Amino acid sequence: MIRHDVIVLGAGLAGMRAAIEAKRAGVDVAIISKLHPTRSHSGAAEGGINAALGNATEDSPESHAYDTVKGSDYLGDQDAIEVMCREAPDDIYELEHMGAIFTRASDGKLAQRPFGAAGAPRTVYSADITGHVLIHVLYEQLIKYDIKVYEEFFATKVVVDEGRCAGVIAWDTQKGGLHAIEANHVILATGGVGRMYYGTTNAFACTGDGMSLAWNAGVPLKDMEFMQFHPTTLKSNGVLITEGCRGEGGYLRNKDGERFMVHDAPNAMELASRDVVSRAEWREIADGRGVDGCVMLDLTHLGWKKLKSRLPGSRELAMDYAGVDPIEQPIPVRPGAHYQMGGVDCDIWGETMVPGLWAAGEVACVSVHGANRLGGNSLMETIVFGRRAGQATAERVLEQGDTGARIEPAALADEDRRIAAILNNSEGERPGVLREELAKTMYDKAGVYRTGEALLECQEKVHDLRERAKTLSLDDHSSVFNTDLTTALELLSLLECADCLVTSAVARKESRGAHSRLDFTTRDDDYWLKHTLNWNDGGEVRLDYRPVTITKHQPLARSY
Amino acid sequence: MATIENAHFTTLKGAYDTETMEATVKVRRFNPETGKSRFDTFIVTIPVTATVLDALDAIKDTCDGTLSYRKSCRMSVCGSCGMRVDGGAALACKVPMRKFVEAGHTITVSPMGNLPVIKDLVVDMTPFWDKIRAIKPYLDTKNADTPAKEWRINPADTALIHKESLCILCGCCVSECISMESDPDFLGPAALAKAYRFVGDARDKDTRERLRDLSGAHGIWDCTRCYFCNQRCPKGVDPRDAIAKLGAESFKEGFTSDAGAKHAKVFVDSTFKGGYLRETELVPKTIGPANAIKDIPFALQLARAGKVPNPLSPHKAKDNDEVKRLWKLLEKEAKGQPRRATAVHPDAVQEG
Repeated sequence: MIRHDVIVLGAGLAGMRAAIEAKRAGVDVAIISKLHPTRSHSGAAEGGINAALGNATEDSPESHAYDTVKGSDYLGDQDAIEVMCREAPDDIYELEHMGAIFTRASDGKLAQRPFGAAGAPRTVYSADITGHVLIHVLYEQLIKYDIKVYEEFFATKVVVDEGRCAGVIAWDTQKGGLHAIEANHVILATGGVGRMYYGTTNAFACTGDGMSLAWNAGVPLKDMEFMQFHPTTLKSNGVLITEGCRGEGGYLRNKDGERFMVHDAPNAMELASRDVVSRAEWREIADGRGVDGCVMLDLTHLGWKKLKSRLPGSRELAMDYAGVDPIEQPIPVRPGAHYQMGGVDCDIWGETMVPGLWAAGEVACVSVHGANRLGGNSLMETIVFGRRAGQATAERVLEQGDTGARIEPAALADEDRRIAAILNNSEGERPGVLREELAKTMYDKAGVYRTGEALLECQEKVHDLRERAKTLSLDDHSSVFNTDLTTALELLSLLECADCLVTSAVARKESRGAHSRLDFTTRDDDYWLKHTLNWNDGGEVRLDYRPVTITKHQPLARSY
Repeated sequence: MATIENAHFTTLKGAYDTETMEATVKVRRFNPETGKSRFDTFIVTIPVTATVLDALDAIKDTCDGTLSYRKSCRMSVCGSCGMRVDGGAALACKVPMRKFVEAGHTITVSPMGNLPVIKDLVVDMTPFWDKIRAIKPYLDTKNADTPAKEWRINPADTALIHKESLCILCGCCVSECISMESDPDFLGPAALAKAYRFVGDARDKDTRERLRDLSGAHGIWDCTRCYFCNQRCPKGVDPRDAIAKLGAESFKEGFTSDAGAKHAKVFVDSTFKGGYLRETELVPKTIGPANAIKDIPFALQLARAGKVPNPLSPHKAKDNDEVKRLWKLLEKEAKGQPRRATAVHPDAVQEG
């Protein structure tokens, strides 16, 4: 039996940051990840990370918090938002001291660029590969602190023993076989769930595994109806073109060349918040003013110098995956599922309702993003709340020691039977077929604009898919590097998360942030200023609600 | 205003419209249970915008679910899907299929080289990661007084390590490294490029120790300068250039005792003196006179074949002064370059 004080699931920015903090506090921590750490999807983040350093113009954590609250359409918990915005600057300085290679201003300080719905240039960045730079700097620290990583281990179950988290059961992808790995505390840091949508910026690995693990361990998922659609993604494969393109002055045009944002956000124009821009684009395309299902992101006026120095990665992506050089031609883009604002319900230290089970990063819902996340806030969230979860679990270990929760042999045997049944089955449908059906259903019926009718159809389809996924046909029944098995397990996670999303969306009869209902077009603070909770009730989604924490900012009408 | 009358907004027009094509892909398979390899050929229908990775996905979803390969981001940043396409390492997600299909060419996909194969296209990256670990891949400020805010670094100084900072650790360079083929312990292009990322970092204070370690056995001087790493890197890191920079930096620190370093030095000295490489000096000055004696039989063999220039009157370029002027010009220009980046403590900066 393997045992550690703290286990972190996932090795993206939140997971690595948590593990580093716990290790520095002197506890025995290990990471379990289905990917090698640097393969994690945090590395694909492009535009930057928000902190009110005030390097470019005057700025303050209070101003950052206000923008975030407003951006969240007042659904974000203001105590959590205050924590993030207050602690962000020191976390940035620490990343810089660890070795992060950020873009510098001429005075040698960290440069800061404007981002959507931000009152000041607040986004610290490294050209347009900020996530890449950060994932590598944290991986370097992982090596420095000699933190054990169970690489390419796929966690299949969080074990709860007499109400306490006892550890996880994980499949060793490289060699095959299930392992029980006990821990006093488990931090979920497995990232998002964008792969439930057809058009998505997310990696193949973003399948909501941690959300599903928590849901099955008895923790509710929160605010799952709020899936952020990023306005600028490529049609061919959903790849993200950073908001930094618009931050650097890029325009969005329809087929007539019109900068259509003038109708939706006459002041902020292209730099309105993401929900606003995505809706405008979707409308242009739906009303026939798009070009081949896209609108045009025009960077041609920025000049090759700026494109090469500030946005080289976006240029590379546009050339590789859209076949256009943005120096000469506009890039066809459309909204794509990008970020799950909701996730595992937890407090401002990441602790969930199941003692010993924690969450940080995109898998979690603290909630700092509410109904709509601001660009540049997700990287900051991973660092601030990853660090806090690492610190809090370490303190708990140092105070309490062994919690006594154990993974009984029977629990491992049960899980072994469940996995073996999936592994050995050749009846039913292929996981890939169901995954594509799910992704198209979600993109068509629970996308940027929603109606009660479409959502109900979507829900019915998701239930049908969950039923059909009970028997999946695998071609590969072997144990070594069986990606047919992991694909099947990922599909099960996606389906549970999709059920939570659509069930919450059917119920929420208002329009707020990323949840935009054509049959309930206004925000209803009297009734709906509350978080949705999705409980697992014998495999079915049961809804519940909880009030939003408001400290300083009373809800106001939101315009940009 | 969006209302229920606009219900057509829910589904995006033309969301899935895409032209398709039929592609043929030959894949090298390896079954770890039987230990046997074979080639399989698949025909799949894929969008015209599909990459090699998309073609593999189509094979896995519709032809053979046992096919194994790594993938994640599909946007050339995570580094998972390094493999050989027609014999050369590449990221499968970065190579478009269309050009092959239009040329009627069947591509062959096989695992990366220089790393043990686990299954099909999946290689064991352990030796790769061990070498990354071996170069102490993290910033060491030697307990410098950590500032409350950021170190101040001139943008031009951060640019010194820009290319190396693009590395995604995919292993494509290592796959093609011919030095590693003959010496599996060679640190290799990825680890050395990573090493330069710290040597060139203004904040790192471990430069001398790093260069000392890197200029020893299996280090900088084991590179044969074949440039396959530069050619195959999907991110423009140019690892060979980083190795050259490490060589220059280690010379500055006086680490010239490795045979490889001496070898490089003979090239420079000899061309300076005579405008040509003096082959007869090369061997004794690289491996030492005592070891050179052992090679006399080989030298005689070469001489019999007319391959040895007269050691008593070394050949000299006609206008050797021009060579010297060129040499001095290069040296002068090199002095104008920032040799080492500097980071300034914010407290030491006079705000003005």
